[in-house]
Amino acid sequence: MGDEKFTFESLQDPKTIRDYLQSVIDGIDKGRVILSTEGQEIVLHPANLLKFSVKAKKKSDGGKLNMSIAWKESKREALKVGEIISISS
Amino acid sequence: MMQPIEGLGENFRFLVLEVSNQLQSSREFLGAPSHALYDKIVSRDDYIDNLKNIIENKCFSTIHREKDLSKQAINQIRSAQIICVNLERIADFCVNIVRQVGYFHDPAFLGRFEYKEMIDHILECLALIQPSREKGDLSGALTICRAEFELDRMYKKNFDRIMAELRTGLHVEDLITALFIIRYLERIGDSLLNVGEALIFAIIGEKIKIEQFQALQQTLSKSGINAPLSEIDFQSIWGSRSGCRISRVSAKDQRVDPAQGSIFKEGNVHKIRREKENIESWASIYPGLGPKIFSYHEDGENASMLVEFLSGCTLDEVLLTASEETIENAWFVVRETLAEIWKTTLVAAPAPSASMRQLSARLDSVLQVHPGFKRAHRGIGETSILSTEEILAACRDLESGLFAPATVFNHGDFNLNNIVYNHAKQRIHFIDLYRSGRGDFLQDVSVFLVSNFRVPVFSPEIRERLNQMIARMHAFASQWAAEHGDATFQARLCLALARSFYTSTRFEMNHDFAEEMYLRGVYLLEKFLRHKDQPWESFELPVDVLYS
Repeated sequence: MGDEKFTFESLQDPKTIRDYLQSVIDGIDKGRVILSTEGQEIVLHPANLLKFSVKAKKKSDGGKLNMSIAWKESKREALKVGEIISISS
Repeated sequence: MMQPIEGLGENFRFLVLEVSNQLQSSREFLGAPSHALYDKIVSRDDYIDNLKNIIENKCFSTIHREKDLSKQAINQIRSAQIICVNLERIADFCVNIVRQVGYFHDPAFLGRFEYKEMIDHILECLALIQPSREKGDLSGALTICRAEFELDRMYKKNFDRIMAELRTGLHVEDLITALFIIRYLERIGDSLLNVGEALIFAIIGEKIKIEQFQALQQTLSKSGINAPLSEIDFQSIWGSRSGCRISRVSAKDQRVDPAQGSIFKEGNVHKIRREKENIESWASIYPGLGPKIFSYHEDGENASMLVEFLSGCTLDEVLLTASEETIENAWFVVRETLAEIWKTTLVAAPAPSASMRQLSARLDSVLQVHPGFKRAHRGIGETSILSTEEILAACRDLESGLFAPATVFNHGDFNLNNIVYNHAKQRIHFIDLYRSGRGDFLQDVSVFLVSNFRVPVFSPEIRERLNQMIARMHAFASQWAAEHGDATFQARLCLALARSFYTSTRFEMNHDFAEEMYLRGVYLLEKFLRHKDQPWESFELPVDVLYS
C-alpha cells in the first residue's frame, strides 16, 4: 500500500491551536489519531516507542516551533511472541 | 609518534597541503571556471605525483635498508605509504572533476546541486590527517573513516535529485555531467576511508578486519542475501576486536584440518592470564564448552597461549546465512546449555546490580566516536529535561538499592560472535572468555539481546530473524526469572539493556543506526528513573525497545 498523506496549513489564534493540540493529545491517549479530508480518513496508531523531536528558532521578526512525533510499526506484535514462548520447555 | 625518516615528515605535510589546495582550487574552479586556474590544477597534479613517488621511495627503501626497525616503526611507514597513495588518488579525482566542466552547456548549472558541502566535508577531513597522525588521535582517524559514509549520504541526495530532473527530459547532458562530478566526490570518500583506516593501523597496530568484512560479504552473497554493501558497516566487525592479535596457526602450504587447528593469542600478560584462568574455570563447570589450552607462556609484560580452534559457525553467521531450521536447532542448543550452566553455577546470595558502573566506564569511548551522544539540561515550559549526566547520576543512585537475588557464572561478553555453533555435533562453544566471571545472569542476557539488535544488516528478512532470536532469549530469561522468584528481573534488565544500547554505539559508525541505539538507551534510563519511590518488583520493562 502506498503512503497516505494529510496536510493542513492555516492561521489561528492561540486558543484554537490549544484545541488542536488537545485533539492530538486525546488521540495519543486512545492510540488512534484520525485525520480526514472531505470524507477520506487517515487513521494513525502511535506505537509504544515514539520518536519525539522539538525544534525552535527565534528570528528577528518572529519565531518557529516545530514538534514531530514519529514511529515505526511495532515489530514485537508482528512476531507473535506467544508462539515462541510455547516452544520453551 | 612518527619515527624520523630523513625528510619524510616534511614531504608528507606538503602532500597533504597540496591535495587540500587542489580541492580548494577545484571548488573555486567549479564556481568560476578559468583557463588559468585549469592549468594550475593540472600542473599541480604532476607535482603531487612526484611528491607521492618521493614518499613511496623513502618508505620502501627505509623498510628495505633498516634491519632493526621496530614493528611499530614499520607500521608507521606502511601507513604513510597507504595514505600517500590515496591522497594522490584524491588529487587525480580533482583533475577528473575539472575536466568535466568543459562538457557543461552552462557552467553555472552545477550550482543547483550541493557539491560545495561535499568538498567542504572533504577539506575538513584532510585537515584532520596531519594532527591525527602526529598525536596518534584515534577519534580524528575515525572521523576521517566516517567521511565515506557522510559523502555517500550527500551523493545519494544529489543523485536522487538528478534522477528526478532527468525524468523531465530537460538538460540531459548537463545533468549527466553534474552526476559525474558528484560521483567523483563520492569516490574521494572511499579514498578517505582508506586514509582513515591507515591512520588507525598506525595508531593501534592492527589492520581492521577488511578481510572479515569481505568474508561476510561473500557469505552473504553466497546465501543469496542481496544486502547492499552500504548496509553492512565494517565498524561492527571491528567491534569484535578483543585487543589481542589472533591468528590461525598452520603450515603455509598445508590445509588446516578443522579438528586440529589452533589459535595463537598474544597480548598483555594480565589479559591473557585471565583468559587462561577463565578457560580453566569453564572446563570444570562445563567440559568442552570452551577451547582447550595447548600451551601457555609468559614473557615479562606479554603472554602467549595456543588454544584449540573450535570448529563451527558463530551465531551471527548462523543467523545471517543458515536455514530457519538450523537457527531453531542452534537456539535449542544455546538454551539447553545456558539452562544447564545457570542451574549448576547458581549461588543464591544477593549481588548488587552493576550496569551503571559499566556504562560510566565506557562513556568516554562512546563520546570519542559520537561526541553528540550526550545532551545538556533542557526545559520546555515548566517541564524539565534532564541532561545525560544528571540521568546517569540519578540512575547510579537508584541502582545502589537494586540487587540480583542470585549469581551464576557468566561468559562476560556474550555477543553472537562469541558463541560458536557446531551443527554436526549439536553443541555450542564459548570463545573469547577474557571477561568471564560470577554475576547477575542478566549480564549475559542483555549483551546477547543487544548484540542481535546491533547487527547492521537491514533487510526485512534478516531483521525478522534477529527479532525472533531476541524474542526467544527474552522469553527464556523471563521464564527463568519467574521460576526462580526473581522479582526485580525487569528493572535490572532495563538498566543492563540501557548500558548495552548506549555503549554499543562505540562500535557503530553509521550515525543513524548508532543514534537509534543511543536514544533507546536513554529512553530506558528515563523509564527507570520514573519508577523512583516505587518497589522495583512492580517495574515493567517496555519490551518494544528490544525490537527493530
